[in-house]
Amino acid sequence: MKQICINTANTDMLAQDPKKAAKENILMQITNASQMVKLENDPHAAFALIIDGKTLTYILEDDMKHQFLNLAVDCASVICCRVSPKQKALVTRLVKQGTGKTTLAIGDGANDVGMIQEADIGVGISGVEGMQAVMASDFSIAQFRFLERLLVVHGHWCYKRIAQMVSNTSRICYFFYKNIAFGLTLFYFEAFAGFSGQSVYDDWYMLLFNVLLTSLPVISLGVFEQDVSSEICLQFPALYQQGQKNLFFDWYRIFGWMGNGLYSSLVIFFLTIIIFYDQAFRVGGQTADMAAVGTAMFTSIIWAVNCQIALTMSHFTWIQHLFIWGSIAMWYVFLLLYGMLSPKYSGNAFRILIEALAPSPIFWSATLLVTLACNLPYLAHISFQRCLHPMDHHVIQEIKYYKKDVEDRHMWTRERSKARQRTKIGFTARVDAKIRHLRGKLTKKHSTPTSPS
Amino acid sequence: MSPGAAEGGFETSSAATKKHSKKPKYSRFTQQELPACKPILTPGWVITAFIFIGIIFIPIGLASLFASENVVEIADRYDEDCVPSIYASDTLAYIQSSQTNKSCTKTLTVPKKMKNPIYVYYQLDNFYQNHRRYVKSRSDKQLRSKANEFETKDCSPEATVLVSNKEMPIVPCGLIAWSMFNDTYRFSLNDKAIQVNKKGIAWKSDREYKFGSDVYPKKFQSGVIGGAKLDENIPLSQQEDLIVWMRTAALPKFRKLYGKIEVDLEANEKITVVIQNNYNTYSFRGKKTLILSTTSWIGGKNDFLGIAYLTFGGLCLFMVISFIFLYVVRPRPLGDPSYLSWNRNPDGLLLN
Repeated sequence: MKQICINTANTDMLAQDPKKAAKENILMQITNASQMVKLENDPHAAFALIIDGKTLTYILEDDMKHQFLNLAVDCASVICCRVSPKQKALVTRLVKQGTGKTTLAIGDGANDVGMIQEADIGVGISGVEGMQAVMASDFSIAQFRFLERLLVVHGHWCYKRIAQMVSNTSRICYFFYKNIAFGLTLFYFEAFAGFSGQSVYDDWYMLLFNVLLTSLPVISLGVFEQDVSSEICLQFPALYQQGQKNLFFDWYRIFGWMGNGLYSSLVIFFLTIIIFYDQAFRVGGQTADMAAVGTAMFTSIIWAVNCQIALTMSHFTWIQHLFIWGSIAMWYVFLLLYGMLSPKYSGNAFRILIEALAPSPIFWSATLLVTLACNLPYLAHISFQRCLHPMDHHVIQEIKYYKKDVEDRHMWTRERSKARQRTKIGFTARVDAKIRHLRGKLTKKHSTPTSPS
Repeated sequence: MSPGAAEGGFETSSAATKKHSKKPKYSRFTQQELPACKPILTPGWVITAFIFIGIIFIPIGLASLFASENVVEIADRYDEDCVPSIYASDTLAYIQSSQTNKSCTKTLTVPKKMKNPIYVYYQLDNFYQNHRRYVKSRSDKQLRSKANEFETKDCSPEATVLVSNKEMPIVPCGLIAWSMFNDTYRFSLNDKAIQVNKKGIAWKSDREYKFGSDVYPKKFQSGVIGGAKLDENIPLSQQEDLIVWMRTAALPKFRKLYGKIEVDLEANEKITVVIQNNYNTYSFRGKKTLILSTTSWIGGKNDFLGIAYLTFGGLCLFMVISFIFLYVVRPRPLGDPSYLSWNRNPDGLLLN
């Protein structure tokens, strides 16, 4: 790795403006270095920039900041030594504002606090130098080496979980989806109720919808979901790029989920209404009133929305099973208990499950039909996607599922190293560069006729 | 100040002194290593899932359709036919006058054999029982018990009447009760009357818990008459027509149970029905229909459930075929590392 040192030369003290002279000197060094970097032909070359604190005081002034930043960004590694805490913070701010990228700062001492707070993500190391860095940081770890795990495992999982909540069962998208599916049915009903504002559901159903009946699976998804295990995250750092490239949080997905919510709301509402239309819904000849239709529709929503989240999860512990199927069971239990309260409190929902709905086969078959009708398009979509455009974590999941990593260890090792390959820094990169260099020499030796030894 | 700093001299003093470790206690939960199943959608699973759904749906659809086809239903709209021709242009005057003859006779032909019990419904159209203002206009407290007679809060304008300068509550109050349906039907076959059983048409929970047996109608329909009058000697828990009516319907087109006929009706029999056309649907262009229907295990006649199941079942099987086609035409070997993004486009993976 080529090193570029920028330092404050001991300029002629007799010059009129020593500060100005020093600055010009530094600017010249920066310009030369930039030239050198630009003229470099070797695509695998890496540069390291080394600066000391004294030089930084000149560089961080407004007129030189941007040249410095441009040079620094072209280098693979920048080492600033003997810098004051304030300068650490200023350098971080310069990078953050100048490049517009997300920055992470890690430190363990009180002198790192400024830098940690300035960066987008601050990581503090708790230990020998005390707890100041930890108290100022967003994340704290016990040893520096845990940073790899923090980023590549937890960072990757967090990104997937949040993106998943939003979109597809991904948290945020899921919130859009389930509330669109639920809220639009209320709206459609208004068209049939003279737009008078009458709700087709009992008030308690609506209260519990977001609080109890559909929130637990989302929480379990947000806390426990893992698309690939932690070993794989560490072995395939390239998966981390899914987050950097923001593959999961794009408008296409968000609109897709909203569309799914719209479709689900239409299916839920119209199928339920037409199934319970005006004829008797039981062998006893009774017709369905608003309470019965509303309860049946709501049951379908609970099933559809919870099955949807189950379809998007890829990691099922007992907790997820408990939360998803438990939420659905909780709905029936609630309906039963609510119906058992005196009509003073339960009103039209008094005994609605045991007396009216449960003995009616239409109730159960309507729920089954609506649930599967809501989830079929999504199932078809993910099946097609997995078949035609599998993403990296899909392929890796398959390799693990079919135990191909055990059968073919060479392939596994090779893919792991390829996933790390395109980095310009670090021990691995230097080793790779050396290997490439030697390999290049070896092929040259073989292509030319054998020279006399 | 570092609590773990070892005082070198004392460390080795006793074997029992263990070096203080800050490592948190390991637990599978906190380390996110709980045993998990990680199902993935392989082609096998996809095809199995769709076949399974198709196999379940199609028989259910066929059974539902079959049951619905076995239900025999007679529907007869009578609100237009039952207005005498002289009043054809002024139906409102006809229906609102107490002098006009509201009796109307119609003949129904039984299309297929109908086995008892045969349910008699009246169907109303364009009647918004689900309108918010209407739904609110009742007092469940008053209906439950005589002690709550004066609880007429939401019932206005049908809440109270002035009787010798005192506000007396109307029982049952509110617009729902006030607008109760009051057409009656008398059936006869070959001049022999067919009995219509009007008991047991309301939900048991309504009869026993929501409509009190000590509540009697009072001052009902004492102002503008909106519908049926109630017998003041019968408690509400036995006024099943009222109970059925007060279960507000979900849609503007709805049916309510009128009664049950407990004899069989043979095919091609001609039933004569004498209708008392009392109820005013003419002012809002509503429709009234008389329905006779048998039931099956799925209830009344509605082919939609069966058709919907068959449609989705068919769609699933179509999906199966298209997936099989896809996997045959464009097979993707599973777990093939050449599909990883860094193998597909080697230049695409720069960390910038």
